[in-house]
Amino acid sequence: MKILVAGKGGVGKTTVSATVARAFARAGASVIALDADSNPMLGVSLGVGPEESDVILDVYAGLATGETEHARSTEGFVERFGLDAPDGVRLVVASRVDTPNPGCRCCGVSPHSLLAELEQDDRIVIGDLEAGLGTLMRLEADQADIVLVVAQPTAKSIEVARRAVELAANLELRIIVVANRVRDDADLAAITAVVGEEHELVVVPDEPVIGEADRDGVAAIDVDPDAPGVRALVDLADRITGIAATA
Amino acid sequence: MRLAVVGKGGAGKSLVAGTLARVIARRGHRVLALDSDPLPGLTFSLGAEAPEDVALGAAVEFGSDRRWRFVHGVGPVRAVQRYATDAPDGVRLLQAGKTGPGGRAPMAATVFGFYMVIQGLSSAAAFRDWAFVGDLPAGPYQLAYNWAPYADRFVLVVEPTWQSMLTARRIKRIATTARPGVAVSLVVNKVAGHDDAARVGSYLALPVLGAVPVDEGVRAAELAGVALIDFAPDGPAVHAVEELTDRLHGDRLG
Repeated sequence: MKILVAGKGGVGKTTVSATVARAFARAGASVIALDADSNPMLGVSLGVGPEESDVILDVYAGLATGETEHARSTEGFVERFGLDAPDGVRLVVASRVDTPNPGCRCCGVSPHSLLAELEQDDRIVIGDLEAGLGTLMRLEADQADIVLVVAQPTAKSIEVARRAVELAANLELRIIVVANRVRDDADLAAITAVVGEEHELVVVPDEPVIGEADRDGVAAIDVDPDAPGVRALVDLADRITGIAATA
Repeated sequence: MRLAVVGKGGAGKSLVAGTLARVIARRGHRVLALDSDPLPGLTFSLGAEAPEDVALGAAVEFGSDRRWRFVHGVGPVRAVQRYATDAPDGVRLLQAGKTGPGGRAPMAATVFGFYMVIQGLSSAAAFRDWAFVGDLPAGPYQLAYNWAPYADRFVLVVEPTWQSMLTARRIKRIATTARPGVAVSLVVNKVAGHDDAARVGSYLALPVLGAVPVDEGVRAAELAGVALIDFAPDGPAVHAVEELTDRLHGDRLG
């Protein structure tokens, strides 16, 4: 099963990806967390540590430095470039842009090629996408099963979510709208009014524990797995595995 | 003043860029706001109308040599004169293509057109007296590909989280590697505790030029999709951007 997490920058994609990935792993699943953002931060939210996350060798750079031994096999990428995050989640960073003129990132190994190849029957791949719609626009139907579209109560993020839902719907993917940082009914209504009422919906309440975790550079699920906002994401993971079981 | 506002997604780039542009314009300067984000953001924060179609694509064509070029009689200056749109307080707004239901193809001309315009703007005599305020998309990506050649100063918007600080450090590294000596000004946003701004400044080894406090007015303005400067003009966040503008002008540097 392949799950993508999409939305405007800063809506909480990485927190959703990391918490859901950890919850899958705690439930016994084999999980690959694919950081498909060119500004990769998934390691921080998984609990790998901020400075540690910043130096993880990404697949793109690893291949560019002549690590060709594994270049033919995607499993080789996972083995060579992956890193074990807490709960046994295997983190793979696709590419990191941190120099001027970094070359074309659409060629060769890309988030798309990794998504297409990383899946195995007994494994869940969860892909934390670049902010915005770029990856979804180039996505092909076999590269994902479920798209988690994250929105928060801001007009901009809701508009981005609306477009993300449209793109995912065109590919006939299963869509789950994640309404994040919701304080009240008005917040939720603002999101569903634009994104649509007909989609599966998960409401994540505005959660101080998540803010604390980001300030401290740790995983929210390690700060307090029972905080309502974290709990909502753990429940989302259960719901998805439930979906998988009945599919 | 030639500014490019950069930072992690959600740090408050558009909020700062849109409010800065309006404040600078209210002080009597001509302002060109440059929105290179393919997502809607700056138009909301400026309080501008968001046109369904960005007309800038008409300034360029795809030549038989398979390269984009300006159409006959159009260059960077004329492209801005023709295709920039009006925003409040007399700000003019030039937008790159927005991703819409039509997919990528209709975007290409406006994206390449925008890129060609900004490469030529810095040296354009017609805009010598104008302030530029650019708003870049989330993260270091566009910056790495030279999407703010007009900027003589990067305004780095950072919130006090590790994800935002690590992103800012990458951006600073790219900006100063590509253009040694370029000015980088730090704005810490969503400041709650008294040591938040100092902590970010010390991590990035940059002086804090501005600190924008957590402001319920920002949340309400963002939910309503209304420019902060129109929604909560007397709130602490707008006040902080006004102070920031003073410092950028050097009025209070002494």
